[in-house]
Amino acid sequence: MKIFSQLIILLLGISFFSCDGLFQFNPNEIVLKESQRNLTGKNIEKIVKIPVKDTLRFIFMGDSQRWYDETTHFVKSANQQRAIDFVLHAGDISDFGITKELKWINDIMKDLKYPYLTVIGNHDIVANGSDAYVRMFGPLDYTFGYGDYKFIFINTNSLEYGLDGSTPNIPWLKSQLADNPDKKQTIVIGHVPPFDADFDKNLEKEYAATLAADPNLKFTLYGHQHAFKEGEYYNDGVQYYQTTSMGDRGYLIITCWKDGQKVERVQF
Amino acid sequence: MKKILLLLLLSVNFAVLAQDDQPGLKSRKWYIPDHLKLHFAGNIGFLSGGPGYVSRNKTLETDLLFGFLPKKFGGDALITISAKTTYSPWKIPLKNGYYIRPFSIGAYLSYTFGPQFDTKWPSYYPAGYYWWATSFRPGAFVGGKAGRNMVIKNQVRQFEFYYELGSYDLLMISYVQNREYLKLSDIGNLSFGVKMAF
Repeated sequence: MKIFSQLIILLLGISFFSCDGLFQFNPNEIVLKESQRNLTGKNIEKIVKIPVKDTLRFIFMGDSQRWYDETTHFVKSANQQRAIDFVLHAGDISDFGITKELKWINDIMKDLKYPYLTVIGNHDIVANGSDAYVRMFGPLDYTFGYGDYKFIFINTNSLEYGLDGSTPNIPWLKSQLADNPDKKQTIVIGHVPPFDADFDKNLEKEYAATLAADPNLKFTLYGHQHAFKEGEYYNDGVQYYQTTSMGDRGYLIITCWKDGQKVERVQF
Repeated sequence: MKKILLLLLLSVNFAVLAQDDQPGLKSRKWYIPDHLKLHFAGNIGFLSGGPGYVSRNKTLETDLLFGFLPKKFGGDALITISAKTTYSPWKIPLKNGYYIRPFSIGAYLSYTFGPQFDTKWPSYYPAGYYWWATSFRPGAFVGGKAGRNMVIKNQVRQFEFYYELGSYDLLMISYVQNREYLKLSDIGNLSFGVKMAF
């Protein structure tokens, strides 16, 4: 028995210094290294250091879910694009809401030449997913400013909260749109688009009207449906763009300038 | 006819009693466990432990394990119960009652408690929206063990140390579909434990 106890002490020692996941205690454990924490905050710091140019150019991709091989190919394709400032992930980073999956995608995405930011998707909320997302990336609703632009990321996964009227948080969205003293052009990003069945029907009109009422809104971006879409869905002047999934091997390159934007679809 | 039947029943009864009295054969009630296990890691808790049963030829073990994961080691405090079965077909006897069972293969089904985990998804989801349950997790493993039979107070007792390399359904599916990015080591994990049979 003495050998057993010595062996246990040895293996316990290894477990605390070993690379990720030799010992696992539960699929829903949230065990993170310092380099895997607060990724939203860390990447915003990197973005705001990028020199501001006349045009802003970023990649909008999403729904990486269980498509690790495809996401690796996406990174290769994205790294070959010219003059990209950063990458935005439309959510459904993971498929099962398991921390290990979030780590895998981060491991793939950190090979990008550009910083990346995420918005939470419905699959990222499953089980311990939203807890893991908060600790690994940051708040579910957040904003940042870059040059003449303000980006608002909002959790629009109403169905995950039983369509209880809490999500998306429209009062928060209104306050963030209102808090814009420099009249920066605003881009709102969510995972589930308001015209999708998983978006709270009782909040759809108010959400769309809130976006339409803001004079600084440039356009709004979504994922979730695994298909490219674009259009003025509510005949109110607001342009909606939707990117496809990694499984569908596509993403958007969005170029913005003062009076307009160009949205290109890329297949890789 | 009745007498013959009675005699037959009695003889069967005696045969059973006689067998129970044979030395080396256990006479304990069927529901008394054959052994206890203490297990480290393996996605069923930081530590888990519980009673188990072994087949008559000692190759098949079935265990019920109660596991606990403290927040300190898991980022969340989680309680898990698991039913687990292990098949170890071969035994290599060594000196002094030591032996090795070089290969084991097995499977488990775990249940993790918590309001964030679902067995049946709430009715507001369309049917089949998510196809897996988050509370139940099936897994499989291969491993091996080493043990020793000892006579303590005229009773044979058995101590075993075993290790397991395992994975579970969701990671296995991810691996099969992403053979380029994922390696077996990405989805596998190591666990080990001790068993005491009495």
